[in-house]
Amino acid sequence: MISRKLARSLVLATTMALGMTAAAQARDLRININADPEMIDPITFSALIAGDVLRNVYENFTKVDENGKVLPALALKWTASADNLNWRIELRPNVKFHTGRPFGAKDVKASFEALLAPGSKAGLQLQYLQRIVGAKDVQDGKTKDLVGVKIVSPLVVEVAFTAPDVLFPIYPFMFFDTQVVADKGPNWFMQTSAGTGPFQFVSWQRGQNVQLKAFKDYYGGAPKIDGLRFVVVPSEETAVTMYEAGELDVLVPASTDLSRRIMRDAKLKAQAQMTPNAQITFLGMNQNLYAPFKDKRVREAFCISIDRDAMTRGLFGGLAQPLYGQITPGIAGYNPSVKKIAYDPERAKKLMADAGFPNGRGLPPLKIANLAPFRNEIAYYADQWKQVLGIQVDLDIQERATFLRSLNAGETPFFSWGWSAGYPDALYYLSQVWHSKSPFNRARYSNPGFDALIDRATITADDATRYRQYHAAEALLLDDWGTCGLFMRTAVTVVKPNVKGVVLSPMRILPYGKVTIN
Amino acid sequence: MTAYVLRRLLGLFPVLVAAIILTFAANRFVPGDPITIMLGDQGGNVVLERKLRAEYGLDRPVSVQFVDYVSGLARGDFGLSFRYPGVPVTQVIKDALWISPLLAAAALTLAIPIGIALGVLAALRRNTLADTGIILILVAGLSIPNFALAAFFVWGFALKLGWFPVAGWTTWKHAVLPVVILAIPAAAYLARLARTFMLEVLQQDYVRTARAKGLSERLVVWRHSLRNVLVPILTVCGLIFGGLITGTIVVETIFNIPGLGRIAIESIFARDYPVTMAIVMLFTLFYAVINFAVDVLYGLVDPRIRVEAVR
Repeated sequence: MISRKLARSLVLATTMALGMTAAAQARDLRININADPEMIDPITFSALIAGDVLRNVYENFTKVDENGKVLPALALKWTASADNLNWRIELRPNVKFHTGRPFGAKDVKASFEALLAPGSKAGLQLQYLQRIVGAKDVQDGKTKDLVGVKIVSPLVVEVAFTAPDVLFPIYPFMFFDTQVVADKGPNWFMQTSAGTGPFQFVSWQRGQNVQLKAFKDYYGGAPKIDGLRFVVVPSEETAVTMYEAGELDVLVPASTDLSRRIMRDAKLKAQAQMTPNAQITFLGMNQNLYAPFKDKRVREAFCISIDRDAMTRGLFGGLAQPLYGQITPGIAGYNPSVKKIAYDPERAKKLMADAGFPNGRGLPPLKIANLAPFRNEIAYYADQWKQVLGIQVDLDIQERATFLRSLNAGETPFFSWGWSAGYPDALYYLSQVWHSKSPFNRARYSNPGFDALIDRATITADDATRYRQYHAAEALLLDDWGTCGLFMRTAVTVVKPNVKGVVLSPMRILPYGKVTIN
Repeated sequence: MTAYVLRRLLGLFPVLVAAIILTFAANRFVPGDPITIMLGDQGGNVVLERKLRAEYGLDRPVSVQFVDYVSGLARGDFGLSFRYPGVPVTQVIKDALWISPLLAAAALTLAIPIGIALGVLAALRRNTLADTGIILILVAGLSIPNFALAAFFVWGFALKLGWFPVAGWTTWKHAVLPVVILAIPAAAYLARLARTFMLEVLQQDYVRTARAKGLSERLVVWRHSLRNVLVPILTVCGLIFGGLITGTIVVETIFNIPGLGRIAIESIFARDYPVTMAIVMLFTLFYAVINFAVDVLYGLVDPRIRVEAVR
């Protein structure tokens, strides 16, 4: 008797919990994400998966195409004043928020003020507002009015800076209709959508999916599909099977392992798009902590003992390309004619002998640090240094948090590491990783000539002139063998043949606004 | 009977208290720190680190944190998730709460009748081809790991035949393969036990007496033997349920089901202490409740037990 009752209630409970929602709509584009987005609101936004989702909902002054070209988005025109302390930004007319209200200059100002408000827990975007006049006062709660942002007319805004900020128009802001905070309360982002992008937020079921729907009034034209469904699939094996069974339209592999598997499968490979990631990798040689690195010949010898072609073929199965400079393609300011680093064991041996370390004799013990997932890479380097230079370099595999803390403190003598572009301009790499004043200059490289060029570039609004300064600075860094590039990983995305318009760029997949499904 | 139930119920508390203390200690003393993980590229930024530590209350002594946590629990407050900024733990696990126990319960409901039927059948047909056949199936069911079985089922029933979806959690069809895969080893285990117990019972004097009285074989099996097989089987069901709940972690990963097991793994890797704590407590609670239920059922099936307990 009891067991029958129990069984009946179990069946009932099963039915209720499964929810029996309707099967997925046929015209939603289904994309896998390997974890829940970290957040879903444009204020706290700061992470990778959240960005993949939110870029379809919220927009910025500008956007970037797959070649790294900056194009107008919410702004049509932006001009810097002669002293570079002012940007005049003309906004696109007839842009509507998902809430139905029109977008204009007041919303730019209000979005910035919301980010700066004390206790707003703003994420990534906060760092890009620091140089606006009056930003600190808003942050400290002294005023709510961000005086540095002036509304000239409903569609023109002028931003004043305490120090020149020539990249301001390309920073990844996410403008939103701040009225929703007053209307719906602090948890508004789970209930409504307040961006201007091609898709509107509908729902986020934690552990399951994020659902977006097409925004019919999008200024670039209503999307041709009903919506986007980002399906949370932590297991990559499951994601592949789902793609093969037609339960996903776009398969985005998160690991190199899966990318390699895709390349081995003829059918998947035929549907794959590939592009080099916007990420530099480099050797960090701290001259303060390991004296022999003070000698340029030693640095060069370590750099030219690595066979980048063999490495990208063998270690990465072709899913990487050699990197010779410190700027990647698809990023504004990239120099395609940067000098190749030839694999030259003879020259490397001679350089070491000239520097007083023939066959590595006389060198103090040396370790190269990195994380466990990158063990193979540093094992390859160490093997090359052993074979070519006769130097025993030990592997120092560290735990992630410890590794990063020690890198940031400038306490790691020798390491290989990378840096992903946060916005599509070479300044992100050059100033953050190699300027002597940057907290992320983890090798503590210091070159006054390089610093001077970068300092000048940060106040040069004219793109062509600035790019020339980048090239000169990059050449200085490379000629000095302050570091050397290693490789660029290849990003892979697999798209069903009946889906058109998915564009993989070096900075992840572009918004899905132009996608069609047959 | 009421006294028996009350005494069993009281026994749950020390178990839960022990679980709270142990998980709290394990979380705090295991290497790895949520704040350093949150810091990421900003590692070593002392100002930011101090700010975050204060925000999450992790700058206070562990004893204070523990008292604070327990008093929060008493008010039904599980705290805020570390991984999702500003989101309460209850909201993180709310949707997942019933999925793991439900999968386990559904699998057990499926496994019990199948397991007992197979076991009894094998015992009644002892040393025949049917018996050997059933034993072979049981060994296979017990020894093939569930992830291998899952891969095979997905390939056959989802990819080739297209009867069920590969993964997900929206319609009832999504539940079929995971439940079957969870049920198979449980049913096999139950069948082996049922066969052994049945063989033992069939040797008993009262069964011989029943047969001697000229009762039909059906009555001998159903009324006199099976009931006595059920008692030991019931006890084992509690243990099996515990195993099934843990088993859901693997199945949830393979079939992409947003259950507690998957959230548990994710939160452990992210050092999301409050979420991990809540899930461990829930698992303990499920385990304890099912054992409690088994104890009560046990008393119902075998009156001698509750009499002894009260004495």
